[in-house]
Amino acid sequence: MMSKSSFLVSLKENSKRRLWVWVLSALLYVLAFPVFTALTINSITRSMMEMKESYEAAAVMQVLHEKLLNAMRGCFAPSAILLLMTAGIALISAIQGFSFLYSRKKMDFYMGMPVKRKKRFFVVWLNGILLYVLPYLLGLGISLQIAALNGAVDKTVLQSAVVGFGANLCAYLGIYHMVMVAVMLTGNVIITLLGVLVFGVYEFVVRILISGYQEVFFRYFSSYGIDTSPVLSPFTMYMKLGDSFNYTNTVSVKYVLCLLGFALVMGLLSYVCYLKRPAEAAGRAMTFSVTRPVIKILLTVPAALLAGGVTFDAVDFDPQRSMQGIGWVIFFMTLAVVLGSGLIQVIYEFDIRGAVHKKYHILISGGITAMIFFIYQFDLFGYDSYIPKQDQIESIAFVPEDYELGYSTHFDEATGRYVSTGEYADRYMELKNIEEIRELAAISMKEYSKLNAAIQKISVPEDDREEQWWSYTTLIYRLKNGRKVSRTLWVNVEDERTQELLDSIIGSKEFKEGFWMCASDRINGLLEESRYEVRTVYGNQIYSEGLTLEETREFLEIYRKDLEKANFTDIRTCVPTGMLTITLSEAIKGSDYLNAYGKIAKSTRSWEIYQNIYPFCKESIAYLKDHGCYMEGQLKLEDVAKIQVVNRNTEIARELQKQLEESGEGETLSDETPEHLLALGAERATYDYDAGIDARVYADYTQEKEMEEIAAHIYPESMPTSYWDHGKQTEPDYEVIVYFKADSQLTRTFGASAYYGFLEGEVPDFVKEDTLYRE
Amino acid sequence: MIEIRNVTKSYDQIKAVENVSVTIKENTVFGLIGTNGAGKSTVLRMTAGVLEPDQGEIAIDSLPVFDHMEAKKNVYFIADEPYFFANSRAIDMQKYLCSVYPEFAVEDFYNYLVNFGLDKKRKINTYSKGMKKQLALICGVCSGAKYLLCDETFDGLDPVMRQGIKSIFASEMERRGMTPVIASHNLRELEDICDHVGLLHKGGVLLSKDLEDMKCNIQKVQCVFKTIEDEAKVIAALDIMKNEKRGSLNVLTVRGNKAEILAIFATANTIFFEALPLSLEEIFISETEVVGYDVKKLILG
Repeated sequence: MMSKSSFLVSLKENSKRRLWVWVLSALLYVLAFPVFTALTINSITRSMMEMKESYEAAAVMQVLHEKLLNAMRGCFAPSAILLLMTAGIALISAIQGFSFLYSRKKMDFYMGMPVKRKKRFFVVWLNGILLYVLPYLLGLGISLQIAALNGAVDKTVLQSAVVGFGANLCAYLGIYHMVMVAVMLTGNVIITLLGVLVFGVYEFVVRILISGYQEVFFRYFSSYGIDTSPVLSPFTMYMKLGDSFNYTNTVSVKYVLCLLGFALVMGLLSYVCYLKRPAEAAGRAMTFSVTRPVIKILLTVPAALLAGGVTFDAVDFDPQRSMQGIGWVIFFMTLAVVLGSGLIQVIYEFDIRGAVHKKYHILISGGITAMIFFIYQFDLFGYDSYIPKQDQIESIAFVPEDYELGYSTHFDEATGRYVSTGEYADRYMELKNIEEIRELAAISMKEYSKLNAAIQKISVPEDDREEQWWSYTTLIYRLKNGRKVSRTLWVNVEDERTQELLDSIIGSKEFKEGFWMCASDRINGLLEESRYEVRTVYGNQIYSEGLTLEETREFLEIYRKDLEKANFTDIRTCVPTGMLTITLSEAIKGSDYLNAYGKIAKSTRSWEIYQNIYPFCKESIAYLKDHGCYMEGQLKLEDVAKIQVVNRNTEIARELQKQLEESGEGETLSDETPEHLLALGAERATYDYDAGIDARVYADYTQEKEMEEIAAHIYPESMPTSYWDHGKQTEPDYEVIVYFKADSQLTRTFGASAYYGFLEGEVPDFVKEDTLYRE
Repeated sequence: MIEIRNVTKSYDQIKAVENVSVTIKENTVFGLIGTNGAGKSTVLRMTAGVLEPDQGEIAIDSLPVFDHMEAKKNVYFIADEPYFFANSRAIDMQKYLCSVYPEFAVEDFYNYLVNFGLDKKRKINTYSKGMKKQLALICGVCSGAKYLLCDETFDGLDPVMRQGIKSIFASEMERRGMTPVIASHNLRELEDICDHVGLLHKGGVLLSKDLEDMKCNIQKVQCVFKTIEDEAKVIAALDIMKNEKRGSLNVLTVRGNKAEILAIFATANTIFFEALPLSLEEIFISETEVVGYDVKKLILG
């Protein structure tokens, strides 16, 4: 048992040995922190005072007050700068405090003294914490005092200061203990720093490698839920804690516990290593002999896999298609194993000749690397054939990519950020038609293999191979054992059985509620939130009409009932009549400014939720009509001055291109060149040899009858959203530019012209005739 | 008493000390000698509680020493390269040592500094190597520890300083029973200081004996015999270890009790004979020869 006074004496004596670290910490926190605070206040105050001449003094002072409060919250709350300072002091403090372990001279001195090892550890450890905490608290106190004198302190600033201090202390403990473990495991400062670097990046590299290899080797790899940021890193935990506080103004207990848990585990580990550490380890590269080969292999294997991964890209190695380039991959992986193992042995022995020692380590590392490579190459764990058994599955989320505006319409009210469709579906979509999804997965995997083989023989640009034929979707299996597994599927939406299954899946209430925010009554909660200003419009992105909040609520209620009856085929076979856009705006705290009229205004952030309204939504359309929001057709002729149609004549252009190439006129023109090609060839030579043949034909329409017929078949370019389900699209060859009348309201609100397109197969004959390319 | 029993210590695959057993009695000056790499420092570092033995045990006054405060309070270890805090002065070292050795003699410390001509306010890193060793010895002596373990501490000290240290040792031994343990690779360094000597070689103890006991068993006599027959008669009666002849003068190193040997000479027909003092080197030569070693190769180089 150590007495309190002797402990304090030891603490004091230890502080004398670490004076420069105390000074450094004090410079950062007691000097730089308050100075930065004062400069921030001064800069804001000065800029606002200049405005006093132009604006009303009271308004300026109010904005100044808000700005100062906001700046102070930013100063004291968790931030990257504070984390950097914390990490720097933690690193220096841990290494300097226990640096006596590196030196035999110091070990002889300290270990010879009648001081318990346990006591020495706690003295150094506590001193390392105090030299962070005391200057921080002192600096924070001075900064708060400065802020208070400038009227820049309120409850929220104090809350930020407390949370900032708590978060930084947790991060400090985590980083400090992590560096201590590195010190205990190594025998000199250079190796310790390398160790800290490894601790910092190892998990990240391993995560990158795992997901990278899965992506390269597995056809049904899904990146959903893969987060490469390391879980076991105090830096990640701190940043997440800070983000959560800055966005929601609440402290995430989860991340606080994670940080404290990490700090505790690392602290205990460092203590155990300290007690086990032999004094003779001073000056060696690694303290414990037993860890040397383990660490060497743990570093060499990922290095070799990383070398392989880099080579994949360099030699265009794609194991899903062929084994071309495998020789280079093996060569560079082998080289990495040999060099990595040799280099680490050189570090261990501080001798270049060490590179050729312990050759069996090279064999072991090489063997493990090869084993991992084979696991991926031959899919030994069945990643690509995995479909969980029905009785293993609790529920499934089915997330089609780019389907019916489902990709950009979700946001998380808790964090105030957009979330991906996958994340939203993961939270809210719990499909119960498990057997049908399993069947769809099985069909898709089977069909994909067949069709993929066929695609290989077709000369299409590589990036378009799958997308041209298949629709991409992600399946998130929630298993009964609590695990979550995701896979991608390439779905053949042209297949009859697939369509039946999609009718059932997409037609289900669970799918709709988990895919579209407007399809669930959860949105009502958001609409009722007082902090949001809600604005709703119905339109086709050119024309729009507003709905009140009450109307929005009523409309959504009706719309949900309409949508309930729809299935995949219903949506696929129609084009939306319009789109509902709900905009939620929120004033940003502390963003006050004086607008051009001298009034106090706040910056806002807003989120938009989109939902297609389909022709089968009869009740919804009736409601819109009743409220004067619905528009028949997509264009009002009274606004239109002219419609211009451009036909690219792609097929003809391609044919002309072919003829030109066959006649060899791409390079030189001769007297024998046909006249129509001569002109094209000359044109092409003038601009760019590789540019395609331009066979575009323009036709302008100003007659009401023609415009009326065209208007009946066109949609605003962005309206048909049937990419995923291979539904109705616009004719790719035709472009329709609508020019509005100068006195039209649209010219003022939208612009002088808008782009439209004809629906596939709906181009009027006279337009076809007018725009056909003729030699 | 320091008891080292069957102690073994290895550094990785290298055995530094193997099965060493030595007992160091109180109030003696124990010399631990051996070649470089014989294991002297390792034995001292284990005795000081710096290293933990792989096997065996070390007890200071019957208490195990490793991480045992009661035992360690009785030990002060001066390493071959003593450590002082960065940018510290003698006064800083005194303050620190006072915090860990409750019996630290502050007054004596400053007296010794004055006597040795060391400036208490001068930074230690400006001291010479010899001055640093003096300061380390002063720290050790004043710590109040009963056992002072000195690793090659006397190497490089000038004769005046050595004499000064010797006298301090003598007075401290007399005053409070201090027991210095001095490791050196040089026999001549220990010759005039030690009462008891242990010889380490290749990690093991070759011998450990009281210097007086060793001296009692070996005698050096110079004499001139009247006739060759007289000489042969005496030599036959003695256990001769070495016989150097310079003209008619014989210098004999003889194993045996002093009184018995002198009695033989007294009865022999000699022109004169007298007993000479033995050097530590000579004692060691004879002792190590018994166990089959040539000490000249081991220590004297």
